[in-house]
Amino acid sequence: MKNKEKYIDIFVKSLAIDKKKFSEKLKYNDIPEWDSINHMTLMSGLEEGFNITMESDDIIDFSSFKKGIQILKKYKIN
Amino acid sequence: MNAEKNIKLWSTLGMRATFGLIALELAKKNPELIITTSDVSTSAGLDRFKKQHPDQYIDVGIAEQNLIGVSAGLSSEGFKVISTTFSPFQTLRCCEQIKVNLGYMKHKVCMVGLASGLVLGNLGFTHCSIEDIGSLRSIPNITIIVPSDPYELFKVLSEAINYRESVYIRLTAGSNSKIINKKDYDFKIGKAVEILPGKDVAIIGCGNILSNCLDAAKILKQKNIDCSVINMHTIKPIDNEKIKNISKDYSLALTVEEHNIIGGLGSSVSEIFSDQGSNCKLIRIGAEDFYSTGGSYDYLKNIYGLSTEKIVEKILSNFKQNEK
Amino acid sequence: MKIVKLKNFAKQVRKNIIYTAYKAGAKSAHIGGALSIADLVAVLYSDIIKIKKSNKIDENRDRFILSKGHACLALYSALVEKKLLKKKDLETFESDGSKLLGHPIINKIDGIEFSTGSLGMGLSLGVGVALAAKKKKKNYKVFVIIGDGECNEGSIWETILSASHFKLDNMTIIVDRNNYQQTGKNSDIMDLKNLKSKFASFGCDTFEINGHDLKKIYSVLSKKNTKKKPKVIVANTIKGKGFKLFENNNNWHHSVITKSIYKEILREI
Repeated sequence: MKNKEKYIDIFVKSLAIDKKKFSEKLKYNDIPEWDSINHMTLMSGLEEGFNITMESDDIIDFSSFKKGIQILKKYKIN
Repeated sequence: MNAEKNIKLWSTLGMRATFGLIALELAKKNPELIITTSDVSTSAGLDRFKKQHPDQYIDVGIAEQNLIGVSAGLSSEGFKVISTTFSPFQTLRCCEQIKVNLGYMKHKVCMVGLASGLVLGNLGFTHCSIEDIGSLRSIPNITIIVPSDPYELFKVLSEAINYRESVYIRLTAGSNSKIINKKDYDFKIGKAVEILPGKDVAIIGCGNILSNCLDAAKILKQKNIDCSVINMHTIKPIDNEKIKNISKDYSLALTVEEHNIIGGLGSSVSEIFSDQGSNCKLIRIGAEDFYSTGGSYDYLKNIYGLSTEKIVEKILSNFKQNEK
Repeated sequence: MKIVKLKNFAKQVRKNIIYTAYKAGAKSAHIGGALSIADLVAVLYSDIIKIKKSNKIDENRDRFILSKGHACLALYSALVEKKLLKKKDLETFESDGSKLLGHPIINKIDGIEFSTGSLGMGLSLGVGVALAAKKKKKNYKVFVIIGDGECNEGSIWETILSASHFKLDNMTIIVDRNNYQQTGKNSDIMDLKNLKSKFASFGCDTFEINGHDLKKIYSVLSKKNTKKKPKVIVANTIKGKGFKLFENNNNWHHSVITKSIYKEILREI
């Protein structure tokens, strides 16, 4: 995923966590910072960062960092 | 949007994030929808709504009296308005504006009260709500609905937006709210939903606290007490028929609510029980008219007898096996 | 704008006010506060507000909101002159089941936009209506009269903040500065000091005029609003204006016009 660096950067910034706490195995609700409200901030950050608008279904499916990579592919971000 | 597919994840989104998502869906189908708020965009999951529909989003700042006035003015000119802020400010701060503009003049506004009940216990009772139903109940022409989980919230909002009068939608529980409705079902404003049948005791609940009612029923089943759990999502207009039948068919009924036992679900059910001259015993579980010290959601539920164990205890100490 | 037409309209409004109050008899009426806005209402309804009798609510009418609802005798009187109400409707004022009560009851066909009178609420409705016009790209105007006593309410200032923040230049707010309120002088009860500077500091385009000078009222109301700013006119008025007995006599905030008083004051018109 060539945009991986940017993807991780948006993750870290939106969830306001430091890099050490980040891992590619991160799942929704694994850490307190990734709760439902910050989930929306993350989605908004990804939409702005990659200039896309995600469907509600995808936002609900977006349950982990890895799953996010598949979902972003749907919006031609890889 | 096919919501049934992932009810589980949907519910873990919590009421407020779900509200943000639903608002976006509603905005697509209702160009005349406007969301008004008092500076709570993020905490109502409305960040994306604000960015995608800036002209359908109005923030009046931390000024809830103006929130209702402006919402009613917009509604009088044909817009469909959903107002939202934290429940104590959405209801008590602007109570007279709600009476005059929505109750008396009948302008229709859907009011979404965020984080009602006890979920913000660690902020103290300035931010908890155990009085909102009681105060609005006495104002004519205002429907009051307490969605049991995010999935039901989706159904409530879709119906409320076109309902005949103003609707106060009371959101309870936090980020990981419990799943009450595991599969799709018919939702109708004013119509109770029996989510668990049972012939010995009727547990009538509203809001996400219904998950404790379901857990309590499971425990009591092992003790050979068969409990029915009823989701009374609409406090007003309440499902009279259902309550009349309960008052006839059961010897013991409970109401369970994150609200004062005065003025909310418990009072509403009692009123109908007394009209019926029923001899079914009714126990109202909830805040017993006092403000507790603050703390976590579970801490407060326990203090107010709303934990699963306390509900089980209450039924065990009041249900007489011989009357089976 | 013919000054004679305005003078007659204002005279007729005052006649209707005292006629209605007299007919109400022991039920009494808010007289002083209605008479203080008689000239403002006369100019608004004779030459400024686009509104006329019709059996269908006109989407493009200008909206007039009497936020200081207790001055409704002035509103009802003007609506009679514009044929939206009949003279005999005035005789039903405050009687059982009447559509004309001591505070306005929402009745858009007859020209009553909202049920106002709970002070500090009408202005907020006005912002909603003005916002709706902007969103629907309609160019109807919104006029709101608020009382000076009403400016004790915090909700007024919440609303003014939003009117200027939302750049509602389709809104004209008139403050009836008659210096009195329910139980006495503003300065004794809760001194408002300089209202014009308060509204200016809240971002409004403000004016201050003699609220009984028909020419001045007409010129400030017909002047085009400054772009992106709500217009606020502080109208210095006399409570009970038009009848010596009532002028600056706060007993007539809310009282009864007996037959003898009615005869006496009729001579002054």
